[in-house]
Order: sequence, then C-alpha cells, then structure tokens
Amino acid sequence: MPSDSAGMKTRQRRESRKDQRFLASILFVMTLLSGFSMVALHAQQGARGEGAVPAGPVKRRPDGKPDISGYYNSPNAGGAAFNVEPGPAAVGQPATQGAITDPPDKLIPYTAAAKAKREELVAHHLYDDPEAHCLPSGIPRQTYAPFGWQILQPDGYVVMIYEAFHAYRILPLDGRPHLPANVRLWEGDGRAHWDGDTLVIDTTNQTGKQWFDMAGNFSTPTLHVVEKFTPIDSNTLNWEATMDDPAIYTRPWTISARITKNNTPNYQILEFACHEGEQDLIHYTQEEGNPTGGKAKKK
Amino acid sequence: MKRMISFLVAISLTLGFTSAIFKSAQTYKPPRTSEGLPDLQGIWEAHNMADADIQKFLVGGGTLPYTPEAAKKKAENARQAKKADPLAQCFMAGVPRTMYLHFPFQIFEGTGYALITSEYAHTFRYIKMDGRPILDGSEFWMGDSRGHWDGDTLVIETSGFTDRTWFDSSGNFHSGSLHVTERISRAAADVLTYEATIEDPKTFSKPFTIRMTMNRHTEKNFQIREHECYAF
Repeated sequence: MPSDSAGMKTRQRRESRKDQRFLASILFVMTLLSGFSMVALHAQQGARGEGAVPAGPVKRRPDGKPDISGYYNSPNAGGAAFNVEPGPAAVGQPATQGAITDPPDKLIPYTAAAKAKREELVAHHLYDDPEAHCLPSGIPRQTYAPFGWQILQPDGYVVMIYEAFHAYRILPLDGRPHLPANVRLWEGDGRAHWDGDTLVIDTTNQTGKQWFDMAGNFSTPTLHVVEKFTPIDSNTLNWEATMDDPAIYTRPWTISARITKNNTPNYQILEFACHEGEQDLIHYTQEEGNPTGGKAKKK
Repeated sequence: MKRMISFLVAISLTLGFTSAIFKSAQTYKPPRTSEGLPDLQGIWEAHNMADADIQKFLVGGGTLPYTPEAAKKKAENARQAKKADPLAQCFMAGVPRTMYLHFPFQIFEGTGYALITSEYAHTFRYIKMDGRPILDGSEFWMGDSRGHWDGDTLVIETSGFTDRTWFDSSGNFHSGSLHVTERISRAAADVLTYEATIEDPKTFSKPFTIRMTMNRHTEKNFQIREHECYAF
C-alpha cells in the first residue's frame, strides 16, 4: 500500500541516518585516537630517530640538584591514556596492559559504591570524558596525555608545559602550604621538593571532575596525588604516581612509567587549540548514534 | 565643582606618576636571576582599561591607523562586540591582548627561553631565545615567539597568527599578517613597562605602538590559579 511504502521509506531513511550518525561517531572517535597515536608515534620516533642523543649521566644544576629540563615524550604506560587498568579492546579503544604497579592485580581498589559508579560511566557516559570537551587532563593524566611536553627549572620553581590542552603546571619549591581546600583547580595545586635526586610533587585541590583515562576511571575533589620523578640518566625519568582518596578507594594505588626525552633538533611544543567546552562528541553520539548506548545530557 | 577639581587633581597625579615611572625606567637597574639574566620574573597584572580600547594607550595619541577598508570592519566589530569578541566564546586571547587582560600572568626566565603563563584559559607563551626561528606562515592563536635581551629589556618578536583574535573588547582587530614586537622592562621593583608595536600592512597604513605599566602582585604566596573560561 502506498502509505505503508511511504512509511517504509521514511523508516529506511531514518535507519540510514542512524547508521550514518553511528558511523560518523565512530569515525570521529577513531580520528581522535589515530591523531593521538600518530602524535605519540611521532614523539617516539623523535626520541629514537635522527635526534637520538646517547644517554649520559644525570645532568646537574649549579646548586647540585638534577637538571631534568628538556622536552619529553608522553609515556605509553601500558595504554594508560585509554585505560589505566588492563582491558579488552572496545569501540575505538585498543586492548590495554594497564599502568598500575600496585596493587598487584593491576586494578584500581575501588570501594563497592565507586565500582558501581565507574561501571555506570562505562555503560552510559563515556562521551562525558572531560578531555573530549577539551578540559585540562588533571593529575596524573596530564603526564600520559599522548602529546609532547617540557620541563623547565627557573629560579624557585619546576614548571611543566604541555602540548595537550595547552596546559601548564607551576610547581613552587619554597615549601609553601597548599591552597585552602575550597579552591579547586583542574590541574590541582602542586607543591614540589627534592628528596635526594627525586623530584616529589604533592598535588591536592583538584576538581574531582577529571578522569584518569577514556575508560571512566573517575576521581573526587579529595584525591591526593604524590608523584616521584627520578632521573635514571640524562635521557630518562622514572615516574611514579600514588593516588589516595578514602572517598572511593580502599587503599592507595600506584602507576609507574619510564619517560624519555625528545631530543629531536628544533622540536618545539605547538599550540593545541582544543576549544574548552567542545561538544562534538556529545553531538555525534547523541541518542541512537551513541556507540556506548547512553543518552546525551542537555547542558 | 569640588568633585571636578578632585578628579582633575587625580588625573594630573596619575599622569605625573606615570611619567615618573617612564623616566625611572631609564635608571632602574633590575637584579639578576641565578643565571645572570635581567630579572623580570614574578606575577604581574595590568590594572588599566587597555582591554576596553587600546587606542587610549597609543604612543603619541591620535587614532589607530586603519586602512579605510579596515576602519569599516572595526566599526562593524564594535557594533557586534558583545557577541563577536572572541573572548565571549572563550577563545585564546592572542598577542598582545593576553598581556593586559584583567588576569595575572607570570614571567619565568632561563637560558634560551622566557615563559609567560596567563591565568586566562591557562594559556602560555614559550618564547624561544636560542636562535630557533619563528614558525612564520603557521596559524596560532598565540602566535609563535622569539625573544632576545636588549640590555635589560626583554624584546619579543611574534608572528604566525590567526586572524581570529582581537586587540580588545571594542573590536580593534588584525589580519593573519600581524607582527608584534614587545619590549618589556622593569621601571621599578614592582612595576613593568610594557610596549607593543603592531605591524600589519593588510589592516593598518603604518605601524603603531601602545605603552602601559603593569604591577607586581606582592601578596604573600600569591599564585596563578585557573580561569577555566568554560568550566569555571
């Protein structure tokens, strides 16, 4: 019947639009990810290729502290940018080996309630990853956000500047106290000191809105992160970050990675003009097109 | 009338103070960093209305030397400013605007670089001072900068801009051919003298320079926080 046929056509058109939107959302995510991995690959090649400088002993500053200034590649850390835990491949996500070195099962020691929240995020809210909206990565994620970054050691500070999300961390070395707890910052409030040759950074005052990865591992404002950057030689840092937050963890947990210098001649950090508040992922994945099956919230 | 007189007194005091600052700029000798560089480090902020209209800060006074075509666009920008100002959409501020926004910025120095971090939208400017060239022809919101020391003055040359930033909230604008030369020096312990010379033959019939002072934040433990424009 004509009316049925018209209805069928409308339905077909709708189905085909759904397919197109679903495809578009996958393509968008794939583009993001391939962009990420190409940059990471480029950075890796930079470290190993023509710019490779043989590692020597740890350099020293006039005051005897290690000189760790220079350009660095973000560590792969078992695929931490995708998932800090070991995980199977999913839409737009490779399988991950995980970056957690404690506890031994390589899983975040969530409380039962926190584990349920994480599962809810995975099931319905992956598009809400703050990085997808161009918000700063937060700590520790900023270190393994897959773009180049740089350490500077001006008087009285260690400063880290990142291509990813054009973020920076200003870390005073003067032992000043943390900001009051009601001040919340996406990159947290970092305080640094040297413990022998190890740069220790204590970070509090984060927003609690940032995630650890693209796999829904979330945080709260009471997160306390202690990072240790230890130079192994002139080209390599050992990095550890220990997370403590009684609100959602049953015990502290630690991720570790080796971080290598990028000695490519004339390398510089470029401008990453990700526009804060970016909504593309939500638009692409709205309603039926959402590969994670969730509904986009109206903001 | 009394108010008028006190207003005039205030103005003349301010002018006197400003000219005293510019005079002392020639005599003040900044301390050195641990690496022996003129020390401009610290957290600074412009407490003025340059972000409302840079024209008031034009060296030699007068009006900005727009080409006739560009003057029309500036008038149109001014009409649409409330919505069309790139900052209304949280875009990066560009150069020189990032320097006189009402947000603090911090200067760091080291051999081969200077770094300027702004609280606004956590933007930073890494200024190469190691002979590497400007990536001209690229399009960056904040441009690509190269610097050198002229005595105790930090001179920064920046180009490689998009044409999408403005100089202020009144719609003063530029093209992608913008080249900015900034001269930053210390007029006193807690005062910076800031100059920016704007060259953009596609927009202006001749170069022009704006000049102002900036003040140090001396509050104990003052630090740059974050102005997450969208998500604050």
